[in-house]
Amino acid sequence: MIKLLKIEFKKILTYRIFWILAGLYFIFLAAGIMMAEFMINNMVDNMNKHLPIPLPHVTIYFFPWIWQNIAFFATLRYVLIFPAIIVIIQITNEFTFKTIRQNVINGLSKSEILWSKLLLILLISCVITILFAIGTLIIGLIHTQVDGWRMVFEKSPFIFGFFVSILSYQVFAFFFGFLLRNTGLAIALFTLYSFIVEPIVYYFLKSPVVFRNSISPYLPVNSVLRITEYPAIPVLKKVMGLNLQDSVSLGQTCIPLLYAAIMIAIVVWVMNKRDL
Amino acid sequence: METVLSIQQLSKHYGKIEAIRELSVKINRGQIFGILGPNGSGKSTTLSITLDLVKPDKGNFSWFGENPSKESRKRIGSVIETPNFFPYLSPVKNLQIVADIKDQDYSDIDRVLEVTGLYERRHSKFKTFSFGMKQRLAIASALLGNPEVLILDEPTNGLDPQGIAQIREIILQVAKQGTTIILASHLLDEVQKICSHVAVISKGIKLFDGKVSEVLDISDSFELAAADMESLLVAIQSHPEYLSASRNGDHLLVYFNNGVKPADLNIFLFQKGLTLSYLSERKRSLEQHFLELLHDNQ
Repeated sequence: MIKLLKIEFKKILTYRIFWILAGLYFIFLAAGIMMAEFMINNMVDNMNKHLPIPLPHVTIYFFPWIWQNIAFFATLRYVLIFPAIIVIIQITNEFTFKTIRQNVINGLSKSEILWSKLLLILLISCVITILFAIGTLIIGLIHTQVDGWRMVFEKSPFIFGFFVSILSYQVFAFFFGFLLRNTGLAIALFTLYSFIVEPIVYYFLKSPVVFRNSISPYLPVNSVLRITEYPAIPVLKKVMGLNLQDSVSLGQTCIPLLYAAIMIAIVVWVMNKRDL
Repeated sequence: METVLSIQQLSKHYGKIEAIRELSVKINRGQIFGILGPNGSGKSTTLSITLDLVKPDKGNFSWFGENPSKESRKRIGSVIETPNFFPYLSPVKNLQIVADIKDQDYSDIDRVLEVTGLYERRHSKFKTFSFGMKQRLAIASALLGNPEVLILDEPTNGLDPQGIAQIREIILQVAKQGTTIILASHLLDEVQKICSHVAVISKGIKLFDGKVSEVLDISDSFELAAADMESLLVAIQSHPEYLSASRNGDHLLVYFNNGVKPADLNIFLFQKGLTLSYLSERKRSLEQHFLELLHDNQ
């Protein structure tokens, strides 16, 4: 296992495109999180123009709700796509450069190659989650009058939810990478599916044209996004009387993990069948 | 003699195209084994199967007398078709990855880069290399850790004459150390210059295998016999065009340089006081056959 990770490190750490994408990811992530409050309040201001009683401004960077809020903004499609693209490139590069053949010739088994990519995904997910946890903790501590650690960590299960979102979305990318083998095609189809095809299917299934069903929330990408479906803004909740998500549900985190397991199984099956 | 690679009844289809049919080959330790055949005759398919890149439809193979596994592949160095490396990494980093996979340390990297003449460029990115340098890096990677077997699939393809000479020189150097070498080539000349044994394949079928000297040597050969075989051997060795001789059953198989006629040979031996009980000229049938095969395929 250590050996496989060591090899992956050699492949990735001197790869400029990896650093560019990682850099863009963190810029997007940081900018998104920092802009979130401003953007929400901008929306509130716009709404207030049409409301008799204006809604109050919101703050989102306070404990314990900051876990849910930042998990929400950090798992939007636009942000999640970056690590996924890194994973796709790391996989399809092996086919483009034919290094996957060379690695097998030199003495890796096909299953070790799949393992090394899954380990990479696991590692990337862990690193991002740790950064998420540290960053959120710091932002939270700056914005909150801390009243005991219990309050700080009350909503920390969202860290786990965030981890599952990052992990399973990258496994979807792994699936596209190994099945399509071509960098451009895999990125194009993966992005197309995530941003266009699935949203269309989602609304189609919900529309009255189709038979009554509740399939929509179980679509793969949607099931990832639903782990942290809404930000937590208690003020708005109170004012508008909405009953929105306030915790991570174990059932909801199991759905994308189940998809991930199925996709890994398909990749293993296909790789064993196909010639390199 | 220990068998390094044994292939039994291997068959593989790609759609309707039959790449190889019931191919069997046995390669022993220390041989420089050529797989000779025109382009598309199934050489690469055969090697790809033995390296677990391609699954055969039928048949099986074994490395070092064992079932093939990733462990057996670690004992083999291979160059298959094109050099496959990460373009953005230096040769040193690329070879470190190879060493990692083969469970070796990095101590052999400098040596193989020196052998292949790439040491000066060891920190340049692979993508800045010329084709000849890329091919030499592929060979460097195959030589890493002194493997027991070296597989070379068309190693001189696309190289200029100087590059071809360099690579052949490297192969012959390695062969001197007793490494078993398997060389696939469509060049009769290349196999002749390098190999000790050869299998000729065409359209996925093995036509022949045996010693190169027996089947591809362009020198003329005769089968001779006389009552006193020892004297015959001594006498024949004094012939000005004499090349080599070996016992072949009751006969003596003698190779000459070009231009020896049966009648002249008979007179020569008669003058030495020997009467032949058997004289037969062997045709260069296989070479002609091979050229015809190449012609058919063009």
